[in-house]
Amino acid sequence: MTTIKKFEKPIGMRDTFPVTFEKTEAIRNSGRTFLRGRGFEFVNTPSLEYYDTVGKASAIYDASLFKLVDSQGNTLVLRPDMTTPITRLATSKLLKEKIPLRLAYFANVFRAQQLEGGRPAEFEQMGIEVIGDKTVYADAEVIITAIQLVQDYGIQSFKVTIGHAGILNCILNDYTENETQANKLRSLLIERNYVGFEEAVHSFDLPKTKSDALLQFINEAANIESIEQIEKYVSKNESLLYMRQLAEIINLANLSKYVSFDFTLSSHMNYYTGMLFEIFAEGSGFPLGNGGRYDGLLHHFGSDVGATGFGIRVDRLLEIIPNQKTEEKTVAIIFEDEEFIKALDLSITLRTEGNHVTLQSRNGLVNEEAFIKVFDEVLYVTQEDK
Amino acid sequence: MTELTIAMPKGRIFEEAYQMLIDAGFNLPEEVEMSRKLMIEIPEEKIRFILAKPMDVPVYVEHGVADIGIAGKDTLLELKRNVHELLDLKISQCYIASAGLPNTKMNEIAPRIATKYPNVAMDYYKEIGEQVEIIELNGSIELAPMIGLADRIVDIVSTGRTLKENGLVEYERITDVSSRLIANPVSYRMKSARIQDIVTRLKKIVN
Repeated sequence: MTTIKKFEKPIGMRDTFPVTFEKTEAIRNSGRTFLRGRGFEFVNTPSLEYYDTVGKASAIYDASLFKLVDSQGNTLVLRPDMTTPITRLATSKLLKEKIPLRLAYFANVFRAQQLEGGRPAEFEQMGIEVIGDKTVYADAEVIITAIQLVQDYGIQSFKVTIGHAGILNCILNDYTENETQANKLRSLLIERNYVGFEEAVHSFDLPKTKSDALLQFINEAANIESIEQIEKYVSKNESLLYMRQLAEIINLANLSKYVSFDFTLSSHMNYYTGMLFEIFAEGSGFPLGNGGRYDGLLHHFGSDVGATGFGIRVDRLLEIIPNQKTEEKTVAIIFEDEEFIKALDLSITLRTEGNHVTLQSRNGLVNEEAFIKVFDEVLYVTQEDK
Repeated sequence: MTELTIAMPKGRIFEEAYQMLIDAGFNLPEEVEMSRKLMIEIPEEKIRFILAKPMDVPVYVEHGVADIGIAGKDTLLELKRNVHELLDLKISQCYIASAGLPNTKMNEIAPRIATKYPNVAMDYYKEIGEQVEIIELNGSIELAPMIGLADRIVDIVSTGRTLKENGLVEYERITDVSSRLIANPVSYRMKSARIQDIVTRLKKIVN
């Protein structure tokens, strides 16, 4: 073990410097205005939760959880996601007051890093949850809100990829011989290992019709424009009809060009039971966000009303959204001690005009030249003025 | 047409993969001057190659500085990076195996395994229910059993000649290895048409 140097932080923890802070704040403000305008109410939950409740239900890998122990010996976790605590909050209290609920959040979540840097262990997420509405319109609302929110941030080049956990399960079960094979294929899809999928299909020794269908499915289903293309793989069922309606609503909202369907989409978050989606945008190497229907998680908390939502990574938004120059002018008033009152009056006047005014004693400056460089305007209040 | 950045391992794999792209109909110059260059621009096809160490290719692709890349299955298994594995190019085929001195058994108490692939080795021995201690080495792995550093080694085998010359025998074949075409998850969606095109064209050459 090397000794920890004074400047070090735990792996994956980051400081927020002024420029980033302001940019994040602007993202929060416009995001809040946007979502409140659509009837979403903001909530927050504690940073610490019990491991046995939220920790286990969150479906985040155990090794990624920050765990600690409270004075009674209970294991606690730093919340690894927001969907699970909000589900706890909704099922235990809010659903009794209003249903369906439309909730939104901006919150930091914590996931420990095992690999090297480049990924934060604490990051801000924003998102919405629509709880207590099982119709396709709730899912459509979530996807449409996600698209329009991304647009609202001025992001032009992005894509939403939609899949369906139920349809995928149906296909995997139909074309394999047993549960083990289906699970193997599903875990390869979660890793997005198409090569491994094909190898596994060959190794299963399936009847030719089944293996051919799976191989064709993996080639075709990752990028399809319309639901009809998937229909040959599954017998007509409700999920298929559901996806058709979803596609139709998105089309009516005139947002089809941002959407594509991928029926191989699968998540390690096993509480996703219906449609699920991922959001990608140019400018970051990592997905911007994801979402889906998680009736399974509601069920875990003892409710059957159903829920759907999405989360977006604020740290990745920061990467993608271009830096904006603040509109306010920054002014420094550098005063000599005798003229403090005059400087104070001047600062008040300038602030009422909407400037960001720094009041600085000249005696307090070690390097005046370096200090004044960062301001748009510098004013001196000295005795010579008299 | 959008720009596409391809991360490639230097050396033989680059040459083979480059030839495959030419065979697949990509308009690339026959002779490419490699020497010390780390980047090659092909404006005609809007392609840029980044030349990297084989182990670094999945890293470039995961972070999205390269849209796609060519990486050995061994590095993918070892690094477990978040990338899409799209196509088996079936070049530089070999396998990972365990090897040791002939007619030896692994030590009962804390058997030691020397390897360049600590994750692959650990996963394998866990899978077969054997608790081992991994010793990570960077080269000349074959030395380890001879000098008593380890009971077994886990390493790449292509012809088996290196093992033989060092008096080792192969024990278990762990997994097959070949070069794979991998993609960054965001590029896979944002540049799907271009990437699909490459996959389809290369697939014809592979089969």
